Amino acid sequence: MAEKPRLKLPKQAKKGDIIEIKTLMPHIMESGQRKDKDGKVIPRKIINKFVCEFNGKPVFSADLDPAIAANPYLQFSAKVEESGTFKFTWTEDGGAVITAEEKITVS
Amino acid sequence: MMRGTYISGAAACAILAASLLAAPAAHAQAKKEAQLELKGDASARPWKRYPGWPARDYSKYNSLGKLATAPAPKEPRKLAGPITGDAAKGAKLVADRSRGGSCLACHVMGQAGNADLPGNVAPDLSEIGNAGREDEWLFNYVYDGRVYNADTVMPPWGSHGFFTDAEINDIVAFLKTLKKPAVFRTVLDNPEKRPAPVEKRDNLDAIENPGMWAVDKAQELWKLKSSAGFSCNTCHSDPKAQFKTWAASMPKWEPRLDKVLGVEEFVTRHTKATTGATWLMETDENRAMSVYLHFLANGEPIKIDTASAGAKAAIARGVELSKRKVGQLNMACTDCHGIAANKWIRGQWMGEPKGQYDHFPTWRTSLLAVWDIRQRFQWCSVNIRGDELPPDAKEYGDLELYLASQNDGLKLSVPGIRH
Amino acid sequence: MRGLTRRAALALGASGAALTLIGWSNSALAAAKETAEQIAKFTGGKEAAKSKVSIELPEIAENGNTVPLSFSVDAPMTADNYVTDVMVVAEGNPNPGVATFHFTPLSGKAEAQTRIRLATTQNIIVVAKTSKGEVFTGQKLVKVTIGGCGG
Repeated sequence: MAEKPRLKLPKQAKKGDIIEIKTLMPHIMESGQRKDKDGKVIPRKIINKFVCEFNGKPVFSADLDPAIAANPYLQFSAKVEESGTFKFTWTEDGGAVITAEEKITVS
Repeated sequence: MMRGTYISGAAACAILAASLLAAPAAHAQAKKEAQLELKGDASARPWKRYPGWPARDYSKYNSLGKLATAPAPKEPRKLAGPITGDAAKGAKLVADRSRGGSCLACHVMGQAGNADLPGNVAPDLSEIGNAGREDEWLFNYVYDGRVYNADTVMPPWGSHGFFTDAEINDIVAFLKTLKKPAVFRTVLDNPEKRPAPVEKRDNLDAIENPGMWAVDKAQELWKLKSSAGFSCNTCHSDPKAQFKTWAASMPKWEPRLDKVLGVEEFVTRHTKATTGATWLMETDENRAMSVYLHFLANGEPIKIDTASAGAKAAIARGVELSKRKVGQLNMACTDCHGIAANKWIRGQWMGEPKGQYDHFPTWRTSLLAVWDIRQRFQWCSVNIRGDELPPDAKEYGDLELYLASQNDGLKLSVPGIRH
Repeated sequence: MRGLTRRAALALGASGAALTLIGWSNSALAAAKETAEQIAKFTGGKEAAKSKVSIELPEIAENGNTVPLSFSVDAPMTADNYVTDVMVVAEGNPNPGVATFHFTPLSGKAEAQTRIRLATTQNIIVVAKTSKGEVFTGQKLVKVTIGGCGG
């Protein structure tokens, strides 16, 4: 069973509110610094990019290095002016992409 | 490996079916003895130490399973003359973590190791050069302090082979230079002023604690059908209601096995006897199930049987085990969690037994893994250079029952989150 | 961390010899140089004002594997004046880069939280730049705790 990303953000807000968004992505974030039991370097494999968009517009993004801890945690803010959908995209070294979406009602 | 026969899942449920129809499931099951696979071991055999743990053989020293340590010397060693040693070398040795600590784990020692987070289990030695101690006394205290104090926490650095005589001479030479209080770079380096860590994280917040993923995993495993076609859900279709208090009553003396059974071993033996699945201790499945079964009883105060004859005898054994000196470092549970409780071992705060059980299994941030209490016991031994036992060792059961009794009344909060 | 601030050391002329005399090891020297280069690339060589950036980190991290970090830049986030990017570097890590965060007016606030890996006790430096070309910076020392028995 693959663990699911965790997301925490309000389902409702008032126009102009700045809301807090918390995200947790299960990932070992293999830094490329570790060696296996035979002394060989374990190749780097990390989530290197995170993007948050709202109704298709960029809100916040981050370029991540191996110094970001395993199970990358990102918390940030978003100002909401209208109802719509947040889209979260994590990109792994090698190009694999994981996405998630959450709706919010703004009155 | 598990051997022997087991009652098929269908038969197990048939046994319960009659009472299930007659009364609420939880009450019915409480009256019945849980099915258990009584044959075989509950963890891998031969037991192999985890990869990444120090691979040294510690069979020359006591473990919780056997006595092996050579007796302490009866007399201090006589030295031929005054000690000449290299104080600069000694300064490096006392701060060398690869030598089982070393000295800075428990002592402030002036500027040794840059006075970087030394511990305070034992006296501050920053002015021992002015204390009027004979060379021979200093040598012997480092070589084997038991000749002066039979119950000392001090590891036998010489007689247990951590330092050679020449190195102890260097250490003594260094100690003789210590004549001024340590100067700490920041107040945090001073163990007397360092604030005790307070765990503030919300361990049940799934975004704070990656250990909560084990709950999700267990909920899937709960419904996973074995090759015989049964799952936990076959008999326990409402875990939230049915296991509201169970884990808080564990561990328990199990007369059928003549040992104390913790949740993890119970999961192995009960699953084998019912669904037929093999979930040995220290597998991901077993750990996830242990997290989940404790999680379902969160908020419930720990209340274990300490009154039955079996429990009483097990606790008495647990008390004795907690006092046994283990490993090359020659330490007992009561050393770190009694004498050193509420003190710093280097940069780590030592807790009392009370408060050390209610959050297991716990997520460990330094290892990105869930640890159950048995793996915690195993590391305690290996960390002080003693051999661990297999996780289902009866000695660990005795120790766990004793530890649970010291945590009586504390409310479960699992999975925990710790370093 | 070692007596002289990095800035002061660089002000001395940043020659290898000068920094070695101060007592920096070669690896610390290399890390400080790489950190300085990364920051210069981010700011375009512009001098960062030591203000407006607040950083939260534990004084003693329980281990180097996961250390909670949060930062906040006290600056407007309007369409014509907002924080565009914030870079975090760990001076004492084998590779100093930790992350670069990109903000928009839709972010509402120029702040974020994450968890980072630290190889050793060190300074964490946060540098922020705005759409108006201003650059701010702040830094904080984190001690990574030392374990008890050595194993």
